[in-house]
Amino acid sequence: MSSRRGFLTGALRTGGLVCVGLPWLELFAPRSAQACDGLFPQRFILWFWGNGNRPENWTPSQDGFDVELSGELAPLAAHRAKLAVVSGFATKVANSIPHWSGACGLFTGRPEVGGEDDWTVAGPSLDQVIAAEIGGETIYRSVEVGVTTTEAFSYNGPNSQNPAEADPYALYERLFGETFREPGEGGLVDPSLGYRRSALDAVMEDLASLESRLGSADQRRLEQHLDGVRELETRLARLEEDPPEYEACARPSEPLAEYPDVDGRPQIAEKNAAMAKMVAMALACDQTRVVSYALSAALNNELWPEASDGHHNLTHHESGDQPEVDAIATYNMEQLAVLLAELDAVDEGEGSLLDNSLLLATSEVSEGRTHSLEDIPLLLAGGLCGRIVTGQHVRSYTAENINKPLLSVIRAFGISQGSWGAEDTLVSDGLSEIEG
Amino acid sequence: MSPVLPLLLACAQVGDSGLARPVPEVVPAAPALRRLTEAQYHSAIRDLLGPDLVLPSRLEPDVQVEGLLSVGASVAMVSPWGVERYEQAALDLVEQALESPDNRVVMLSCEPSELDDPCLERALDEFGLRAWRRRLTEAELDRILGLVEGITLDSGELDIGLLYGLGALLQSPHFLYRSEHGLDPAGAALTDYELATRLSFLLWNAIPDQELLLAAEAGELSTDEGLEVQALRMLEDERAGQGLRNLLTELYTLYELDDLDKDPLVFTHASAELGPAAREETLLVAEQLLLDEDGDYRRLISQNRSFVDPRLAALYGIPAPDPEGFGQVWLDPDQGRRGLLGQASVLAQFSHATSSSATLRGKFIRSVLLCHEIPAPPGDVDTTIPEADSTSPTLRDRIAVHMENPSCSGCHLLTDPMGLALENFDGVGRWRDSENGATIDASGELDGETWQTPWELPEVLAEHPDLGPCFSENVYRYAVGHSLQSGEEELGEWLAVEFEIADYSYRSLVLETVMSPGFRNVGAYE
Repeated sequence: MSSRRGFLTGALRTGGLVCVGLPWLELFAPRSAQACDGLFPQRFILWFWGNGNRPENWTPSQDGFDVELSGELAPLAAHRAKLAVVSGFATKVANSIPHWSGACGLFTGRPEVGGEDDWTVAGPSLDQVIAAEIGGETIYRSVEVGVTTTEAFSYNGPNSQNPAEADPYALYERLFGETFREPGEGGLVDPSLGYRRSALDAVMEDLASLESRLGSADQRRLEQHLDGVRELETRLARLEEDPPEYEACARPSEPLAEYPDVDGRPQIAEKNAAMAKMVAMALACDQTRVVSYALSAALNNELWPEASDGHHNLTHHESGDQPEVDAIATYNMEQLAVLLAELDAVDEGEGSLLDNSLLLATSEVSEGRTHSLEDIPLLLAGGLCGRIVTGQHVRSYTAENINKPLLSVIRAFGISQGSWGAEDTLVSDGLSEIEG
Repeated sequence: MSPVLPLLLACAQVGDSGLARPVPEVVPAAPALRRLTEAQYHSAIRDLLGPDLVLPSRLEPDVQVEGLLSVGASVAMVSPWGVERYEQAALDLVEQALESPDNRVVMLSCEPSELDDPCLERALDEFGLRAWRRRLTEAELDRILGLVEGITLDSGELDIGLLYGLGALLQSPHFLYRSEHGLDPAGAALTDYELATRLSFLLWNAIPDQELLLAAEAGELSTDEGLEVQALRMLEDERAGQGLRNLLTELYTLYELDDLDKDPLVFTHASAELGPAAREETLLVAEQLLLDEDGDYRRLISQNRSFVDPRLAALYGIPAPDPEGFGQVWLDPDQGRRGLLGQASVLAQFSHATSSSATLRGKFIRSVLLCHEIPAPPGDVDTTIPEADSTSPTLRDRIAVHMENPSCSGCHLLTDPMGLALENFDGVGRWRDSENGATIDASGELDGETWQTPWELPEVLAEHPDLGPCFSENVYRYAVGHSLQSGEEELGEWLAVEFEIADYSYRSLVLETVMSPGFRNVGAYE
C-alpha cells in the first residue's frame, strides 16, 4: 500500500487532476480496473437514504467476486461489475439518539456532541474531508442536493451544516443558469462580477473587524462565514476564466419548475431523475468534484409511492417481515441505479464518468425497527480508476468497525489520513479487500 | 393594557416595599452572536425596503436547539451555500427596491442626484443605522461611500453604485447577526443600541423603529424609566402581535405546518392549505387573549372560544361563522374540543401521515407546555406495535405493549396517557367516537389529576403548577437566545412567580423579562 501511495503523489498531473492508470494496477484490481488516463478529475459522491434497509433482503448470499445481486439490491444488478457491496460492518458509537447518533458516527467517524435537543457533529463529514483535498479548483467546492429533503448530512464542522438544494429548478439555475458556459464559450465578460467582488471585500472587512472582538466560539462561526465569502469571491473570479474543456460537458435540459406532491406524496422518481441528470452533468463539466446526494433524510416520515404509512412509521409499526419497508428499500435502490446509469453514460476517454468517480451509498441505520447500527448497508460504486475494487461482496462476520472501509475511501483520494474516528471508533487500517 | 401594570412593576423594582419581591441577582450568560432567523430577516427587509417585494425563497436554514430557533440562532453558522444565498438575496432585494418608487422612498431617506450630493452620505448613513441597528463608524461609512463611488464612476450610473453599496450593507455580519456583547469585554450592560435590538425583536419580531433608535442614541434605554417607557409603548403598538406570533410559531413549531405530510386518502380534510389555516387559528386566538384582552395565559389551554375559517369549521364539524375568512366561534362540550389541544395546529402536527400519535401529542404537552424532560428512546429496542384487529382495535390497546416493556414504559408513561386522552381526534384533528368499531376511551391521569373526556383534559392541564413557569422560562429563553444557565436560575424562578402574581399576563411577563438584569446584561466571553 505504501509504495502505491508514494507513487500517487508523483502521478501524472494535468491541471491538478490526479489519476492513476497503469497495467499493473489490474493485478490489484482484477475485476474493476477501468481506463483512467489521467485526463479527468476524480470525484466523490456520497449518496444517502434514510431509515435503512431490511438486512436479510439486502445482503448477497455469497461473498467474493461475481455474486448475484437480488432482493433489495436487484435494481443494481446491471451495475454489479462496478459495485462493491460491503456488509456486516457496524457504526461503533453509542446509540444514544436513535438515527442521529448513527448518522454522526457514520459520516464523521465519531459520536455526536451534545444531547437530544442540541446535538451536533464532532467534526467535518466524510464528503467535506474529501472536498478539502479535491474540491479546491472547481466553481463549487462541493454541491449538496436532496430529492425529498434539504438535509444531506454534510458538515464543515460542529453546528455548520451544508444545506441541500431540494428544488430541481433552483439547482438548475445555480449550476447551469446565467453564469454557466459550455466548453469553448470562453469566460464571462460582465462588469457586475467585479462589482460583486468589491462588495464582498467590504463584507470581509466587516467580518474581520467584528471577529477580533469576539470569544472563541463566535470567532469560529465568523471564520466559517468568512470562508464562504472567500469561496464566493474565488468563484466569481473563476467565471471570468475559460470554462474547463471536457468534451462530454453540455448544458442539460431544464427540469420542471415544480414537482408538487401528488395525492400527498412526493414525486420521488421524477425529482430524482431530474437531479441525477444535473448532478452527472455538473461533474462532467467539472463544476464540482464532490456531491452529497440525499434521496431522503435520516428519520424521514415521507409517504413513498403506494406505502400505507410514512417511511419511519412503517419501520417501527409494520409487523412480520415488513414487506412495505422492504419495497421502499428496493425502490430506493432503483433511484440509485438511475444516478449510476447517468454517470456511466458520460464518456470520459476509454471509460466513463462513473469509472473516474467513487460513489458511496449508505444509510444511518440498518434495521429501522430497532435503529440498529450493526450491519450498516454500504455500497461503493465506480471504484475511482480501480482504487476501490468493485465487482465483489465483502462481508465482515465479526461486526468490524465501519470506519475501516471509510478510511480506505478517504485514502483512495490520495489523502494521507493516518486514522479515522476517535477513541472507541478509531481505526488506523483500512479494509484491504477493497483497496486497489 | 391594564393601567395598574406600570405601578406593579415600579413596586417590584423598588424591591424593599412590603409587597414587592426584590429582583434576584444574576450572573449573566456569556455573549453570543445571534444570526437573524429567516423570519427576522424577512421582517427586517420589509421594514428597510418596504412591503410587496419578492422575498428570497430560501436562506440558510434556521437551527432548532432546545426547542427554539432563537436558541439555535446563537450557535448557527453560515455555510458557503448560505453566503451565496445572502448575496443573491441582498442584490435582488435592493434592485427590486431601486426600481419601485414606493420601495425606493422607504429605502432612501433622500434621493441623491449625483455622487457629490450630500444626500448620498445621509441616505447611506440612515440606511446603515436602520439595517445595522447602530450608527456606522466614520470608517465604515467611508468604506461604503468609497464602494458606491468606485462602482458609480466605473459604470456611469449612480443606481448601480447604490445597488452594491446597499447590497454590501445587507450582506454584512452587522446586519446578519445581532451582536450583543455589551460595553465591556469583561461583561457588563448591553449598549443602548444592542438593548434596542433585543427589545424590538422580542416585542415586535422587527428591527428597531425610529423612535427606539432615537431613545438608544440618547442613552435612555440604560435607565429603568427609559427602558420601561419604550417597552410599554411597544407593547401597546399593533406590531406586538408580530412579536407574539413569532414567539408562538417558534415555541409550538408552527412553521412545521407549512409542510404537513398527510395521506389525503386517509384524511379527506387534508390539503396544502390546512396547515397554514390551522396555524392562523392558533395565532388569532393567542393575539386576542394575550394582547387584546391581556388575559390569563392558561386560558389558551382551557378556553372554549376560537377562530375558524370555513375549512377548519368543516374539519371541526361546526358551522362556519364567516363564509370567507376567520370568525369567532364558541365551542361546547358536544363538540368535545377546546383550547390549544383541540386545535388542528397541534392535533395534526403531532400525528403521523396516516394516523394519530399518542406519543407525539403527549410529548408536546410534557416537553413544550410543561417543560418536563423526556429522555430519548433507547437505541436497540423493537418498537413494533401490533396491527389493529378485533382484540386490539384502538391505539390504547395496541400501545399497551409500550407499558409492559420496562425499557419503554419509563418514558411512554410520561407521554402516552395524555396523548390517549386526545384519541377522539384523528391524525388531522377531526372528531371520532370510535376506532375500528370500538369506542375510544379518553380517560386518563396526569400527575395525580384525572379526567374522563378530552373536554376535561384542558382544565386539568390549565391547573398544572408547571404550566405557567414553563411559559415564563420559554419567553426568557426566546428573549435572550439561550437556555437558563446556573447564574440565571433564581431569576427564572422569580419571573415565574411574578407571572403568577400578575394573573399570567403575557404583557406583564414580557415587561418583567425586559426589565430584568438577565435581559439587560451579558457576561464575559468564555
